[in-house]
Amino acid sequence: VEFTKVAADPSIVNLGQGLPDISPPSYVKEELAKVAAVDRLNQYTRGFGHPSLVKALSQVYEKVCGRKIDPLTDILVTVGAYGSLFSTIQALIEEGDEVIIIEPFYDCYEPMVKMAGAKPVFIPLRCKNDGNSASSADWVLDPAELANKFNSKTKAIILNTPHNPIGKVFTLEELQVIADLCIKHDTLCISDEVYEWLVYKGNKHIKIATLPGMWERTVTIGSAGKTYSVTGWKLGWSIGPEYLIKHLQVVHQNTLYTCPTPLQEALAQAFWMDYKRMDDPDCYFYSLSRELESKRDRMAQLLKEAGLKPVIPDGGYFMIVDVSTLNVDLSDVDEKQPYDYKFVKWMIASKKLSAIPLSAFCGLETKKQFEKYIRFCFIK
Amino acid sequence: THFLSHSLQAKMSRPVQARRLEGIDKNIWVEFVKLAATYSKVNLGQGFPDFPPPDFLTEALTRALGGGNHMLHQYTRAFGHPPLVKVLAQFFEKLLGRDLDPMTNVMVTVGAYQALFCCFQALVDEGDEVIIIEPFFDCYEPMVKMAGGTPVFVPLRPNPPKDGKLMSSADWQLDPAELASKFSERTKAIVLNSPNNPLGKVFSHGELGLIAELCVKHDVLCISDEVYEWLVYDGKQHTRIASLPGMWDRTVIIGSAGKTFSATGWKVGWAVGPDRLLQHLRTVHQNSVYHCATIAQEAVAQGFQRELMLYGKPESYFVQLPKELQQKRDWLVQSLDGVGMKPIIPEGTYFLVADISPFKSDVPDVPNSDEPYDSRFAKWMVKNKGLAAIPLSAFYSEAHKNNYTNFIRFCFAKEEATLKAASDILQKWKQEKNSS
Repeated sequence: VEFTKVAADPSIVNLGQGLPDISPPSYVKEELAKVAAVDRLNQYTRGFGHPSLVKALSQVYEKVCGRKIDPLTDILVTVGAYGSLFSTIQALIEEGDEVIIIEPFYDCYEPMVKMAGAKPVFIPLRCKNDGNSASSADWVLDPAELANKFNSKTKAIILNTPHNPIGKVFTLEELQVIADLCIKHDTLCISDEVYEWLVYKGNKHIKIATLPGMWERTVTIGSAGKTYSVTGWKLGWSIGPEYLIKHLQVVHQNTLYTCPTPLQEALAQAFWMDYKRMDDPDCYFYSLSRELESKRDRMAQLLKEAGLKPVIPDGGYFMIVDVSTLNVDLSDVDEKQPYDYKFVKWMIASKKLSAIPLSAFCGLETKKQFEKYIRFCFIK
Repeated sequence: THFLSHSLQAKMSRPVQARRLEGIDKNIWVEFVKLAATYSKVNLGQGFPDFPPPDFLTEALTRALGGGNHMLHQYTRAFGHPPLVKVLAQFFEKLLGRDLDPMTNVMVTVGAYQALFCCFQALVDEGDEVIIIEPFFDCYEPMVKMAGGTPVFVPLRPNPPKDGKLMSSADWQLDPAELASKFSERTKAIVLNSPNNPLGKVFSHGELGLIAELCVKHDVLCISDEVYEWLVYDGKQHTRIASLPGMWDRTVIIGSAGKTFSATGWKVGWAVGPDRLLQHLRTVHQNSVYHCATIAQEAVAQGFQRELMLYGKPESYFVQLPKELQQKRDWLVQSLDGVGMKPIIPEGTYFLVADISPFKSDVPDVPNSDEPYDSRFAKWMVKNKGLAAIPLSAFYSEAHKNNYTNFIRFCFAKEEATLKAASDILQKWKQEKNSS
């Protein structure tokens, strides 16, 4: 909220907030235009998700996961993935619980966990090469450190892959370490996979829910906004076993009850179109990531030319950049703020370019570790 | 390792759901919507119009889509799309007679439902009591409970007219002494719904004055659900409690584009109130949904801009819709009265409640049944007569569900053809009873 205001100035190039300024695919916009003309689609639909949408989602994800997914009991449609995170946390987390959050983290995880009365327990991704990072793959969890964070109070771990802000795509081995701990400690996994289709060459997005023993303890979250470049549609979904999803449905029926009908119908139609071509490279799920890969590479090139050190992401549409190489002296500015906050404000004012400071994505104790990085969005 | 192979398909072995879900998992709509979808030929149950939204609204959506501004498909301002909060502020300035800041006195939500949720989460804590007037829109109770609060119920009591005429929703009233007795030092808020769903009652200036006095005396907040604010009949006035002395600063007013513009599926609502209260709603909002859909907000903003220009004029939708609905109300009242069901004539909303006593013989009483009679009756009616309606007990707390056994709620925001079909079902049913 803080940084959106600053960058609302149209003379500033906004690479901060994660929203595309590219157009959604034309067939997506067309479907919504078609739907607008159908009378009954302007009234309430099924609370837990518009029937044609949950059907389409179940088909797409059955193909991806290789298991049967019941559209009525295993899926909940929510107001954005944000709404799914909220419903999941409100449904399954409470006072006395601990929730493990991997740093840096999408900033809403911490306040949502706190609002549910639980305690966030942080564990940082650490750079393998002693601070010299060229790729998001350099950032890893220390398995022993991770294991130490689990105890009898641990109710859940929040996983975000592909990861915002670093762009890390967790490997099978990394997911297995997390899965083993979840099973050992009887813990839930809340898997935020909104960038699931945005993985670049040489990388594969793996769903932790497909690992042995994990389907029954994982809620997987997805996003229409990120899948179809329509963040303003605010539609997301939670997928998981009925005995977990039913509690999310209870939260949903007591918070907003239904999501907008026309948008769900249009989204369902778009999903059907892409479901039919899931074996075709032209499917938007794959063509978007190809488009973004070249934007990623272009942005990395521009940053290097400016003397900055980008960390090339394996997935997602964000890139973190080490700005310490520029050695901008900001010691005379307000000392209490982390370096990256001060840098971004300086960059907005003097270079008319905005980004997000990485310490916005960290718990209090880790801010120092990440304060030489800022995050750029390249879905532009 | 050994233990892994044991638990490979195991669910979580400890209790998985949070305790805040206790007692709020049942929802009447899930069941009744399914029944209507399966059995109903004529659906007068769930509250939504079966006629389309006005052309100017759907045209606004089409224009927005065709306009080439693809940024309308991306996030807008979290607390409300600027054109929408701006026009809402302008509108409510007019209605309330005070200056409003669109940025701090207005917040857009995913339907009025989410505005209610933000109110309870923001303003109600464990140990707080919240007064709810029965019968009530059913979500108030679970929302209060989910926030850790304690609902305290006070009933509207029917005072039937002595001359045997049909009751009006105005005949259902609060007992002032009874109301006053519900206020305690733990009372944090009272929920007011006027015009009232399900009865259709439009609280009078005097009745609101009573509630306002008690709020001021006990320093209590007022959550004022006014989604049916434009649906008021017989020349009655909808009075906004926030305009009464001492009330602006302690009231959150909730409204709905779904009800205002007959587009319930768009899920655009709002909260209007003082910054000192809305700031807390904003906190809940930014930690729960954060943004609402942009394009729906853009179209609703244009709808309001049109209404602002036409305010008070005959072409205004806010003048035409209640006129149309009043006719439908009268039509349904006649149909029901004609077969011996006794409707309570609503002063507002698009609902009416009717006493179905003459038809009770079709659904024998089951002593010691867990389910309230009217609920069994409504289920039997949709399955056997294809007519969907909602039992009044749905709008009462658990303890009071059997207070009234004979009332069913009908929605009359329906095309003429639908209301005629309903009338045909009722006529046929009455004939069957007469001949049996």
